[in-house]
Amino acid sequence: MKKIDKKVADSYFREKTRNMIIYFAIGFLASFGVVFFAEPLSDITINGFPFHYFMGAQGAVLTFIILLFVNAKMGDAIDRKYGIDESKNEQISSGKVLDH
Amino acid sequence: MDTQFLVSLAIILATFALYIGIAIYNKAKETSEFYVAGRGVPPIFNGMAIGADWMSAASFIGMAGTIMLLGYDGLAYIMGWTGGYLLLTFLLAPQLRKYGRYTVPEFIGDRFDSHTARVIAAICTIIISFTYSIGQLSGSGVVIGRLFEIDAKLGTMIGVVLIAFYAAFGGMKGITWTQVAQYVILIIAYLIPVIFMALQLTGNPLPWISYGDIVGKMGELDRELGISEYFAPFTNGTKWQFLALMFTLMAGTAGLPHVIVRFYTVSTMKAARWSGAWALLFIGLLYLSAPAYAAFSRFILMTQVAGSKITELPAWTKTWVDTGKLQVADGNGDGILQWQELIISNDIVVMATPEIANLGMFVIGLVAAGAMAAALSTAGGLMISISSAFAHDIFYRVLKPNSTEKTRLSVARWSIVIATLLAGVIALNPPGAITQIVAWAFALATGTFFPALVLGVWWKRSNSQGVIAGLLVGLGVTLAYIFAAKYGGFTILGIIDTGAGVFGAAAAFAANIIVSLMTAAPSQKIQEEVMDLRYPEQMVYKNGEVWMNDDGSKSV
Repeated sequence: MKKIDKKVADSYFREKTRNMIIYFAIGFLASFGVVFFAEPLSDITINGFPFHYFMGAQGAVLTFIILLFVNAKMGDAIDRKYGIDESKNEQISSGKVLDH
Repeated sequence: MDTQFLVSLAIILATFALYIGIAIYNKAKETSEFYVAGRGVPPIFNGMAIGADWMSAASFIGMAGTIMLLGYDGLAYIMGWTGGYLLLTFLLAPQLRKYGRYTVPEFIGDRFDSHTARVIAAICTIIISFTYSIGQLSGSGVVIGRLFEIDAKLGTMIGVVLIAFYAAFGGMKGITWTQVAQYVILIIAYLIPVIFMALQLTGNPLPWISYGDIVGKMGELDRELGISEYFAPFTNGTKWQFLALMFTLMAGTAGLPHVIVRFYTVSTMKAARWSGAWALLFIGLLYLSAPAYAAFSRFILMTQVAGSKITELPAWTKTWVDTGKLQVADGNGDGILQWQELIISNDIVVMATPEIANLGMFVIGLVAAGAMAAALSTAGGLMISISSAFAHDIFYRVLKPNSTEKTRLSVARWSIVIATLLAGVIALNPPGAITQIVAWAFALATGTFFPALVLGVWWKRSNSQGVIAGLLVGLGVTLAYIFAAKYGGFTILGIIDTGAGVFGAAAAFAANIIVSLMTAAPSQKIQEEVMDLRYPEQMVYKNGEVWMNDDGSKSV
C-alpha cells in the first residue's frame, strides 16, 4: 500500500466525473432535447423520416449505445493513465465480498 | 390442431429442453452461486443475460403494437427503456459492484447501517418485482393458451410450473446461462419476420435503413384518410406526459432490483462498465427493430387489408377475430373494410404479423418460442430478486443471522416456489393490462430505489433517517399519484398514471436531502466507504487519504 498524492486522486475523480457529465449532456439532448423541440424539427427529413421520428426510433438509441462504449473505452484509458492494473482489481475484488 | 400447431409445439419444446438442460447442468451449490453466479460471468455474456432479463413479454409482444397504435408517442418507450442504461451504467452499476454485496436491500442496509432501511428496501423489492412478474405470467399464459388453443388460465399455470422449476433449482448461475440462450432465441425470433417484411415491401433486407420511406408514405395515406399523420407528435397525450413517461422509464430502469443485481455477477467495476455497454447493444437490436415492425405491419394492414371486400378478407383475420383481439365490423355497410373500421389490439401485432405477411409456419412457431423466452427469462430474474430479498435480506440478515447455508438455500428455493404460485394466482385474473402493470412497477422503482441509490452512492452526507424518509415518501407519492390519476382524474400538465415516477422521484430526493441535513451525519467509517466508491478497486480511500494497493492484497 502506498499513498497517492491527494491531487492525483482528485484529478482521477474529476476526469471521470467531467466525462460523465459530457455523456449525460449529449444523451439528454438526443432524447429530451429533441422531444422538446419535436414540432419545429419535424420539417427536416433524414433517410425518409421526419427528424423527430428518426431520433426517437433510431438516433437516440444509437447515441446511447455509442456513449456507453465510449465510456467503457475512455474509462479503461483513464485507469491505464493512473496505473490501474485490471488483474489486480480482479484479485482485490474477489476477496472483497462480505463473508456470509 | 394442425400442422402449424405441431411445428410451433416442436420448436417451443426444443427450446425448453435447452433451457432446462442448461439449468440442471449449472445447478447452484453455494449461496454465492445461487445469488450472483460466483461473480465470474464475462461481460459479453452478462450483457446478453441482462438483455434477456430486461426484454420481457411487454417488450417482445407489446411494444411494436403500442408504437403502431400510438405512432410517435409510443417512441417514449423506446428512448426511455434504452436511455435508462446511461443512468445505470454511469451512476450506479460500477459503484454498487465495488461495494460488493449480494442484493440491493443489502447495499441500502449496510450503506446506511440500518435494519429498518434494509427491511423497507426488501419490501420495496418484493412489491416491485412481484408487480412486474404478474404481467410476465399472464403474458406467458396468453401465448401458451393461444398456441395450444386452451384457456389462457391453464396456459398461465403451465408457465408457473416451468418458472418455479428452473428458478428454484438453478439459482442465478443456472439463470445466467439459460438467459444467454434465451436472448439468442428471442432476438432471432424477433428479427426474422422484420427482415422478411423489409424484403417483401422494400426489396432491402435491412429494415432499419429501408423503413423510413414506408413511414413517409404512411403519412401521405393518413392525410388522404383525413386522420392525424403516423409520425405527428403528441397526438395521444401532452408533451409533458411524453417527457414524464420517458423519465420514469429511464430512472425506473436504473432502479429495478432484478436488473441491478446483474451487475453484481461481474468481476470488477471495469467489467460492470463493459456489461452495461454490451447489454444496451444487444437490447438495442430489438428496440431499433420494433418501430420497423410497427411501420411494416401498419403499412400492410393499410394497403393490403383495408379497402378489400368484407367477404374476401384473408384467412388469418378469422382466427384473430375469434380471439376478440381484432375487429373488422363493416360500420357503414358498404361491403368494404375501411381502415377506420379495423380495430387491432396492440398485444397481437407481433404475434399476428408473421401470418399477415404470410411468412410460413416455421417463422410463426419461432415467434411463439421467442415470446415464451422473453416472458420466462424476465420472470426468472424477478423470482430470484424476490427470493433474495426475503431469504437473504429479511430472513438471514435480520431474523436468523445464525442460520446455516443449507437452511438459507432452502428458504430461498421455497420463497421462489411460493412467490411464483402467488403471482400465478393473481395472474389468473390480472388487475390491469400487462403494459399498465409493468408501467406501475417502473414508476415505483423510480420513486423509491432511484433516489435512494443515487444519493447513497454519490452523497456521503445522506444518512439512515434520510433514506427511510425518502423511500417512504417516494413510495407514498408514487402510489397516491397513480391512484389519483387513474381513478380520480387528477393530472398535472396532462401527466397520467404511467408518468407518476417523476413526482415520486422529486419528492423522494427532497425528503432524503432535507431529513439527512436535519439529522446527524453518518459515521466516519460510512463516509469513507462512500468516498471509496469514487475510485477503482485498486485505489482505497482511508483516513482522508487515497492509497494504491500495489500488491493486490485483499486485506484492506
